[in-house]
Amino acid sequence: MNFLFTISLRNLLRQKRRSILLGTAITFGTAILVLANAFAHGISEVIFDEIISYTSGHVSVSFTKGGNSFNQVFHDGDRMMAIVKERVPRVKHIDETIGIFARAIGNGKADNVMLIGMDPDTSVIDEKEKKKLEKNFRLVEGDFGTLGDTTVENPVGLAVDKARALNVKCNDVIRVRFTDLNGRTQAVRLTVTMIFKPSNVFMSYPVFLHIKTLKRLAGYGPRDIAALYLTIDNPKRDAKRFADSLHAGLKPSLAVIDGELTAHGFSTDATLLALKTDSISLASADSVLRYTARTLIDTANRRQSVIASPLLASRFGIRPGDTCRIRYNGRFDSLTASAAFVVTAIADSGCGLDGATILVNEKDFYRTFYDVWPASAASDSGPFRPDTSLALYRALGGEWLLAPRSKTTHDVMKRYREIAQMGWKAIVVDVGSMYETASMVLNVEYALNLITFAFVLLLFFIILIGVVNTLRMTIRERTREIGTMRAIGMQRNDVRNSFLIETGLLALISAIAGIVVAFAAMWGLSRITFRMDDNPLAMMLVEGRLSFAPTVPAIVFFVILIVAIAMITAYFPAKRAARLAAADALRHFE
Amino acid sequence: MSVKILTITLFCLVASLFAGMPRVEKLLGDIDELYEMADDVKATVYLTQQKSGQGAKKLEMTYYRRDSDKSFLIVMTGPESEKGNGYLRVGDNFWMYRRNTRMFQHINRDESIGGSDARGDDFEGKLLTEQYEPAKGSDGNDVISEDTLGKIPVYRFEIVAKVKDVDYPKKIYWVRRDQTVVLKEASYSASGTLMQTAYALSFTEIRRHLIPVKSLYIDEFEKGNKTILEITGIVTDKLSDEVFTKAYLENLSK
Repeated sequence: MNFLFTISLRNLLRQKRRSILLGTAITFGTAILVLANAFAHGISEVIFDEIISYTSGHVSVSFTKGGNSFNQVFHDGDRMMAIVKERVPRVKHIDETIGIFARAIGNGKADNVMLIGMDPDTSVIDEKEKKKLEKNFRLVEGDFGTLGDTTVENPVGLAVDKARALNVKCNDVIRVRFTDLNGRTQAVRLTVTMIFKPSNVFMSYPVFLHIKTLKRLAGYGPRDIAALYLTIDNPKRDAKRFADSLHAGLKPSLAVIDGELTAHGFSTDATLLALKTDSISLASADSVLRYTARTLIDTANRRQSVIASPLLASRFGIRPGDTCRIRYNGRFDSLTASAAFVVTAIADSGCGLDGATILVNEKDFYRTFYDVWPASAASDSGPFRPDTSLALYRALGGEWLLAPRSKTTHDVMKRYREIAQMGWKAIVVDVGSMYETASMVLNVEYALNLITFAFVLLLFFIILIGVVNTLRMTIRERTREIGTMRAIGMQRNDVRNSFLIETGLLALISAIAGIVVAFAAMWGLSRITFRMDDNPLAMMLVEGRLSFAPTVPAIVFFVILIVAIAMITAYFPAKRAARLAAADALRHFE
Repeated sequence: MSVKILTITLFCLVASLFAGMPRVEKLLGDIDELYEMADDVKATVYLTQQKSGQGAKKLEMTYYRRDSDKSFLIVMTGPESEKGNGYLRVGDNFWMYRRNTRMFQHINRDESIGGSDARGDDFEGKLLTEQYEPAKGSDGNDVISEDTLGKIPVYRFEIVAKVKDVDYPKKIYWVRRDQTVVLKEASYSASGTLMQTAYALSFTEIRRHLIPVKSLYIDEFEKGNKTILEITGIVTDKLSDEVFTKAYLENLSK
């Protein structure tokens, strides 16, 4: 083998000009391939690291209340945080995030803004993230610490462009109007304490407040939390896995309100259950529930159904039209809540509602449930708990509605449409990782790679025609040499292999040279600073420069591919050379 | 003893002041009754929106409403850029229709109508008594007083939200004393800032009720913004079920 290798290398060096010309072509193709791949991957990394991780975290948990995707609230924050910390053990930090569209009035000028809540405490983040933060917020006036200053009326930070649009500077007051969590109009005064130069155009629009300030202004209660963005150590490796684990841990229990039910003079312990009223759940309920009440609930008002169990009817004489009041203990702060429901029907016995139970339409149920979260909410025992095998069970609402995992950006968009369309009254909890939420970015990277690959393959096709032609010429020139070597005992396979090794060596050396050229080009291109602050394409730049992210697996793949293609192309001329009879080859004369 | 006499005297004085005042709860009920549409309604609505530093934008729409099943349908008839677009609400479902794409899209009730400040839920029939209750003064009584608006004697009273999902947590009404007609309404934000003042400018009588047909809404937050709402061609004949369907809206928008 060493002998063949030596012959191949000698042959390669013997025809320097031809080898250099052919090698240059392969080098050029490899360099383009590596450079384009590194550029596409670089864009993808910049978008994920600089934008997506900020706008949706490595892993995110979002909440949608009342079908409004801007209504991001979960009412049992401590419990949610406990689940998150249990399921995502290597979380670096958890940030709550709120974004609210608002109309702002500065000094004689008005503009639309987005109020974004953030935690300005930099002590919980590492040096790398600190650098990122400093890069995104290049401070012009004030600092992050001012956002937490309680002596100032609602301190805020905003970009230079926005400050100009509102004609404000540090210590000026902005008035903003927005809709709070409950849909009420809110108007507040904000004090500008920080002005920064943004790293990209997207950062010019928001007005940043301390998350605590924004939660207070937006009507969040002390137990409420907004969307959670999780930062983890190794998002590439763990983001999807942790999102899956978190999703599994967020399976809701059945929503129940256990309390004292009173109606025309009697009282008893009872359980209220939520009847889901989307068309699929209603169809499921219809297949099981039968009513024997005086008035049948017609299709039009089934979404307002309040159905009492047969036990309540037989033992306590509850009839349609009766008002039942439930008093129950809240989960927090020793609160006691009370709510009244007008019974619209009585269920037949045998449909599974066996205890002292009332099935309440989800709209009325969750209004009460979320207003004062019941102490019994996640309890397995109470006056009545339906069996999970019960056919009706599928139509009963949980403490929240856990959305199936969205695998792509398209799924996420579809989910938002579905939430608006289905009118679910339970809070919809959605777990995602940035690689799924922004899978569109990966698709762009994939498309860029595919286009580059197609072009480079075309280039290689042309190069490989050159390889074939060169080998044909080489074989022709070396016919007598082949004959001599065959005459002194060289086997046919060795003749073939010597040509294959020669081509393989040429491709390998050229590919390595191509990688070196690509890295040199990356270094050179990433030194150039582009001034395009107002251009959306600026988001693909890091500090105004192109970012390249070459990866070892991709480079190794390209090298193997190039060498393999070259050797496959060389195989047939090499085989032809090996088939030459020694005597014929020796007689060959040009 | 003297303290007791003083207390009784003060109580009598306060009681005499409120002797002629109606209860706010009753006034709210009367307003609800006034605006409650027992009949179906079809009308042409004009919204003229004036924004500070911009020209006026005038929207024209045909409005169908049936309160018995919480349905309404709006089809835009002007300007040209909005013509044919529409909104349909049936029960809890609310759709927006775009003529260009011929697509229906589920939207929230707080979605803007035709890009104006009017929202979907502004066109719903809502009962004040379900949303608000009288504001109580420091003495525990309803906050109500006699006032004049121009030369018209009115009751001025304050109400506060008793549920969370209302646009404005506090409102002040000016209602004619001789009959229950709202002449002015001031709406306040959660922080107590005056956000909007509405004036009823002209009325028409429908089935012995005075219905405002021209109203002026002044944006108190962003000075210079105002909206004029005009309603004409009110018809209270029963509307066919097919009016509140997607097919009908599609047909109207052609």
